[in-house]
Amino acid sequence: MNFNILLGLAVLICLVGLIFRLSIWFSQAIRPSTSTLSIGSRIGAAVQGIFGTFFSSGILQVVKSIFVDLLFQKRILDKNALRWIAHTLIFVGFILLFLMHALGSTVSESLFSDYQPTLNPFLFLRNLFGVMVLAGVAIAVFRRISLKPKRMRTSPSDWAALIFVGMIIFSGMLLEGAKMSSFTTYQRMVDDNAAFSDEGDAQALEAFWVAENGLVSPNVTQPPEAELVARGREINEESCIYCHASNRSAFAGFAVAKISRLFAAGVGDATAVTMFWYLHILICLSFLAWLPFSKMFHIIAAPVSLIIKRVTGDEMDEPANVLNNRMIGLSACTHCGTCSLECSSGMFYETFQNDFILPSEKVQYLKKFAAGKEHDPEIIKRMQEGLYVCTSCDRCTNVCPSGINLKELFISSRYSLLDDGRPEATMLSHFSFPLSLAQNFVDDHLKALSKVTTLFKNSFQHLTDLTSPITLGKSTDFGNNSFKGCYSCQRCTNICPVVRSYDDPTEALGMLPHQIMFSLGIGNIELATGAQMIWSCSTCYLCQEHCPNQVELCDIFYNLKNRAISKMEAGANA
Amino acid sequence: MKYAFFQGCNIPIRVQQYATSTEAVLNKFGIELVVVPDFNCCGYPARNVDEKSYLLPSVRNMAIAEKMGLDILVICNCCFASLQKTKNVLGKDKQLQEELNGFLAKEGLQYKGEVQIRHYLTVLYDEVGIEEIKSRLVNRLKDLKVSVIHGCHLLRPREITTFDDSFVPKITEELLQVIGVTSLDWRGKLECCGAALAGLNDELSRKLLQEKITGAQAVGADYMVPVCSYCHLQFDTTQLNMVGENSSDKLLPVLLYPQLLGLCLGIDSHTLGIEQNKTIEGSDTERLKSLLGPPVEEKKRRKKAKTAVTA
Repeated sequence: MNFNILLGLAVLICLVGLIFRLSIWFSQAIRPSTSTLSIGSRIGAAVQGIFGTFFSSGILQVVKSIFVDLLFQKRILDKNALRWIAHTLIFVGFILLFLMHALGSTVSESLFSDYQPTLNPFLFLRNLFGVMVLAGVAIAVFRRISLKPKRMRTSPSDWAALIFVGMIIFSGMLLEGAKMSSFTTYQRMVDDNAAFSDEGDAQALEAFWVAENGLVSPNVTQPPEAELVARGREINEESCIYCHASNRSAFAGFAVAKISRLFAAGVGDATAVTMFWYLHILICLSFLAWLPFSKMFHIIAAPVSLIIKRVTGDEMDEPANVLNNRMIGLSACTHCGTCSLECSSGMFYETFQNDFILPSEKVQYLKKFAAGKEHDPEIIKRMQEGLYVCTSCDRCTNVCPSGINLKELFISSRYSLLDDGRPEATMLSHFSFPLSLAQNFVDDHLKALSKVTTLFKNSFQHLTDLTSPITLGKSTDFGNNSFKGCYSCQRCTNICPVVRSYDDPTEALGMLPHQIMFSLGIGNIELATGAQMIWSCSTCYLCQEHCPNQVELCDIFYNLKNRAISKMEAGANA
Repeated sequence: MKYAFFQGCNIPIRVQQYATSTEAVLNKFGIELVVVPDFNCCGYPARNVDEKSYLLPSVRNMAIAEKMGLDILVICNCCFASLQKTKNVLGKDKQLQEELNGFLAKEGLQYKGEVQIRHYLTVLYDEVGIEEIKSRLVNRLKDLKVSVIHGCHLLRPREITTFDDSFVPKITEELLQVIGVTSLDWRGKLECCGAALAGLNDELSRKLLQEKITGAQAVGADYMVPVCSYCHLQFDTTQLNMVGENSSDKLLPVLLYPQLLGLCLGIDSHTLGIEQNKTIEGSDTERLKSLLGPPVEEKKRRKKAKTAVTA
């Protein structure tokens, strides 16, 4: 097929993809149920924001961001030097190859009047940049493998991106190698550029190229004589060197020529060149077409996200732009895993066995969620838990190399899910403390909390509404059997700051601390677990400290809370 | 002496001044604190949900410190209690220790039970000592009355935290006395600030907090001095949220102990982050500076009081 048709097709797919991905910034939202903002008003707000920035001191921040965040990529360097080296090798190598080599006929030729792809420094630099990219890819692969035990998640699309980039470079090197050894290519060059006065000169040049430039010639089967090579060298220096530097300076291509030669031996040298040309071109064009649909879209989205972060400092007033920024953030994620590596909740992931506790995995899910593609209640429930089992330490937001405001994304999506979803039992934990402190989404929080408290009330029998007498339970092992030492002196209840906070504590708390111990004493764990008291316990340990008989009340309450939550979760999932 | 500095999740993002002032103060006594980015949450927030999930994070943190060959210095009470609790539980349950070590093995970590967990006040009191502190003072505060709130998880349960006498704690008393600050006797000293209920039952949480604010104001406290970072957040942030609701309430400003000690060691108020406390205003800093006098206990020698003020 014609190259231009293929190129046109790839560019077309790429453009359509880009328009599609960009439209998501203004059409999808994390809180669709409450969002009444039209696409038009969201684009309007974005344009207004951009103009506001450009015609204010904000423009200085944009310029600073371009140098510090985009070109130098300081956020990556701040966290990890090796990662920065890897990304910079790929970034610099790839961009320069794209401009100098892929767009060589426009960019390089207009910049350098004497540009020839076969001349140095261009020939050498092309190889250097290629090797830089490959080295970067190798470090990235190593990083992903070696960090796996530290909860680094790598999805097939991550490997695909690395393989794609690596293959572009490697296929280019193979093509260059194939050309070097190709006799057909050599002959074409000789025919085009040289005119030999005698046959000996032609032989000598060929011998020189075989000996020095990696040419494989059917005429030269033995290592050529040194004298012939020396004569060839003279001819080369007289005629060729002005347009073609030594192939040895294309060191990478020269090295992989050993591989391409094997193909050439099988299919013929001209076919091998064509084959590698198609391979290289097809990989490059596929990459171009694939780019907008993959994480490589971060080439566009991450710079936007970083500039927004630098200009706004994560403070945004315009609701439409808050929605836009969430979507830009989601599209800027490269799934690099930095957030998950630093996540303070990492160990909770190990015990809860819930992928969504890791921030990087939450982001992948939120993309689907925002697109309205996720309906499985099981997955939504796990996501809800994953969003809630978060210490609000903000590390993810501080370390994200793409500058995504993850904290804001997660808080808003948390309440968005809680609003529609099932009761979330982990709300009854100290993960709620920072949320209460921040005073965001106060009403949403209370609404979601009331769902859980209702679930709790409905999950257990209560002392106040027992229709039959209190039953003796089968006293199974409770884990903490210190309650057996209780002789109902009520010291715990008398010292409890929570009990004294209510005019009618029994009504508010269901059961008082000593009654809970009594309930455990008669083996009725169920009744004890259902007491509102366990959730009103301020965990101050005064009761436990003052107990004359070493009953570990506060620890027992924790135990009961664990039981209550697992029963609620089991009930909610049933 | 060198410690792995455990700051937890709240302090680095919400009470940074606690970390910086503690570090500045301890450095004065030649104690070096190593920040360990690899530390994760202490596990405390998950305690209501699942006991094993509560213990595992602390095991990992202790294993990291053991690998570094350092003991852990903690400033957050709840982190302190989680680490101490985990150490205690695993000390008695080798089978559980093995099970939890199984999680760590993937990362090449192992908890052996060698690491010691130290609260920074213990380090100041036991390791540095009152006499050494006294000898280093360049200032001493006078006419300053504060209400200390210890925070529950530092004192209790006593057999786990092993911090001080849980009924009549003396460490904070002596540490305040040496810098000339009067620690008032008040009923909230050993009680709960309500933090553990925030987000679960805000009404009750705030009721407990208000009770402490009123209690401290009733005995004439100039400042509240919380030891625990959760208490600090309750008094320094939630109090402001509450005052916003009832504007008639009088604000009780908050200071941290290392900030007070730091002033007396000649560390400037900026380094100590005093004005990072949300309830503190510029006038408070000025007032504190004006209360600084020479580091002598006799009340008669007041001549040089004003010239000894440090910037």
